Amino acid sequence: MSAYFRITLHRSAIGLPKRTNGVLMGLGLRKRNQVVFHPVEPQFAGMIMKVKELVRVEAVDKPLTKAELRAERRPDPGFYVERPRAAAQSGLALAMATARAGGQLAGEGEGEEEVRL
Amino acid sequence: MFGMFRITNPLSGGLLWKIPWKLSTPQKLRQRRRLRAVDNVVATVDAALAKQGETLKALERWKEEMPTEAEMLPKDKYTMFDRKAKRYRKGIHRLPKWTRVSQRLNPPGY
Repeated sequence: MSAYFRITLHRSAIGLPKRTNGVLMGLGLRKRNQVVFHPVEPQFAGMIMKVKELVRVEAVDKPLTKAELRAERRPDPGFYVERPRAAAQSGLALAMATARAGGQLAGEGEGEEEVRL
Repeated sequence: MFGMFRITNPLSGGLLWKIPWKLSTPQKLRQRRRLRAVDNVVATVDAALAKQGETLKALERWKEEMPTEAEMLPKDKYTMFDRKAKRYRKGIHRLPKWTRVSQRLNPPGY
């Protein structure tokens, strides 16, 4: 199983020695709150130890893609849109729903379209 | 009165301490949090490496030599040794970049 360090730059290295900045460049950290992933290996662990006062580190199973990181940062919109079941699902599901319609009367209420704020 | 020769406390020869002598309570709280954050980073890296069966000299040395936040004395958390200071101690906030460097050890006996 491969493991990765998820490294976030928490404190800027402005005014710190050039070597510290160089280590951050080596890790690929350019600005605060930037996140990079590196495999769990002694050389990356050593680089983290050099800048341990500036970063937050987690051990994760696999790196996230850029899109996943973006989705992580996106705030909760505060609402969700419910779609009718027939439009959301395929014809197969619709056929199954009609077949079981006798016992599923209570469940039909979920199918209405509704926007909740 | 104005300009380069205006009367200010430092120019009048008076002693003006602009850096407070000791840390305030919230400053000490944040200092403890920063110490703990560094401890967390070290613990995370150590656990991840141990899972892979790897070791790191710098990490072993840090664990052997450096006390964790819980093990440190308040004296060492908020002050540091200074041979020129009265009673050989000064506030840790006099250390340049003190919020971004590790300063945990002091000479034994001081």
